[in-house]
Amino acid sequence: MGNWLSSWIDAFCANWARRLAEQTSRRGFLARVGALLVGVSSYPLLPVARAHTARREAVPGEPGLDHPEGDPSQCQYWRHCAIDGFLCSCCGGTQRSCPPGTIQSPVTWIGTCRNPADGKLYIISYNDCCAKHVCGLCYCHRNEGDKPVYYPQRSNDINWCHGINNVVYHCSTAIVLGEAKDGV
Amino acid sequence: MRSKGNWRWWFVGVLVPCAIWAQVKPEQTGQVEKLPSPHPRWVFATDLVLERTSVVDVEQSRFLGVVPAGYGTFLPLFSRRRPEIYVPSTYYSRRTRGERTDVVEIYSTESLGFLTEIPIPPKRALNRIALNHAALSDDERFVAVFNWTTGTSLSIVDVERRQFVAEIDTPGCSLAYAAGPRRFFSLCPDGSAFVVELDDEGRERQRRRTAPFFNPRSDPVTEKAVRAGAIWYFVSFEGVVHPVDVSGEELRFLPTWSLVDEQDRQQSWRTGGAQHLAAHARLGLLFALMHQGGPDTHKEAGTEVWVFDVREHKRLRRIPLRFPGATIYGFAIEPDASWRWPLPWLWQRALDHWIPPLVKSITVTQDAQPLLITACEFAGALGVYDARSGEFLRRVQPIGWMTDLLFAPYESSQ
Repeated sequence: MGNWLSSWIDAFCANWARRLAEQTSRRGFLARVGALLVGVSSYPLLPVARAHTARREAVPGEPGLDHPEGDPSQCQYWRHCAIDGFLCSCCGGTQRSCPPGTIQSPVTWIGTCRNPADGKLYIISYNDCCAKHVCGLCYCHRNEGDKPVYYPQRSNDINWCHGINNVVYHCSTAIVLGEAKDGV
Repeated sequence: MRSKGNWRWWFVGVLVPCAIWAQVKPEQTGQVEKLPSPHPRWVFATDLVLERTSVVDVEQSRFLGVVPAGYGTFLPLFSRRRPEIYVPSTYYSRRTRGERTDVVEIYSTESLGFLTEIPIPPKRALNRIALNHAALSDDERFVAVFNWTTGTSLSIVDVERRQFVAEIDTPGCSLAYAAGPRRFFSLCPDGSAFVVELDDEGRERQRRRTAPFFNPRSDPVTEKAVRAGAIWYFVSFEGVVHPVDVSGEELRFLPTWSLVDEQDRQQSWRTGGAQHLAAHARLGLLFALMHQGGPDTHKEAGTEVWVFDVREHKRLRRIPLRFPGATIYGFAIEPDASWRWPLPWLWQRALDHWIPPLVKSITVTQDAQPLLITACEFAGALGVYDARSGEFLRRVQPIGWMTDLLFAPYESSQ
């Protein structure tokens, strides 16, 4: 059965592609695809849809993975309140581990984020994963409590790939250090 | 078989007349463009993906060339006295591994060609926004490069003698702002400034720390200050302007004033972005990228630029912004003959009205009829406005794959 059907599909696709090629320049085609991409991605621009290729690891005590605030592949994930970088969950790691072959920086900046599941504030350590070129997936930029670079421990603009002899930035984790007390 | 005579006849009778009458003349190989003198309407736009600075004539909408850079974020510095551009750059011997080498690269403004490099300690800070991470002294003799290894220091380079001079530690204080012929200052976590003065050899002559001039806990200034003449304008998250006069023996902290009044505050207007300030020195204008948002939105994209008279502390006008332009892999997304109605109309409407402006960076040309230039980090495109009337003039695209920082360094044709 498959032969005549696949021949027909082949012929249809070949004709369609030929007609498209006749009617459009390659640059024009690219431009229209680009327009579509920009149009789609700019409404709304951020946050965008969940990355289906991401590793989504549920953590007890957090909102479920089906909520944006509980999904580590999304910018709205509660721990990401002061992150600036590419989410390691999208890059082969998780929210608390680096992707294979990278090195986690021992020095870092911290944020204070509220877990909507229990309403408590937690100190989050945004350790960068380093020594491979930038991951480039799931960029997330939130600035709750962020300070300029002259206030380093609270600055997410600093490249924190230090103390490991390689400053090449790949992605960022969001690790719970503990509950925030005394307004830390 | 044809005789030799036949070939001669063909050559004389056919090929020679054809060559004479051909419309496209033979051309020389090996030609490389040179640039005319730098112009106030040249804009330099850094591109972190392509690791280079694009040079664009925004008057003619012409792409002129590029100035390369190494790994990571970078800040080009422009000499007005010499036809040179200085680019502190970082390289690994195996691209992302191996031995790290940091240098100050020197490029020619005339050819955009590489002239030489000066090795510096491999400590250059590679933070997300490279603004004020290096500075050229006012006498243009020394470059200071901000180092960050969790410790902080400045690498001093003599760009006239082409040599690294010294590393000066700046205990806990960050960034590099030029503040006189042989002076730089950095910002400290307590809101003070750390001032370093150099001797004729570029070594530390004097250091001092000022009293705090802002409160970094309650309302920190952003590090993206701009300079107009002898005054640096720092602006806080809440929109308070802290002018710092660097013309005298000591830094002078002038009275503060605000970008926003009570009504603006009620409407949640704030300044923010990656490069959210620009200044026109001779006209005494400060430009601030503004958006409506709550606390912690100090890096959010802007929807308007507000123009202030820095002498009167008065807002002169508000400039509503448009999306600077859309590009994909160096192609500008704009209608051509293959777009059928109503696509061109729809796309133009989208660009001008439906897509949010998403402007993260601004600069202003330094000529008498200045242009305001805007960019969005997701596109290699520039928006061009009349800075005095606020009229949107045009988009200049494509200029790269993304756009980070903008500079219009020349006041007049050099």
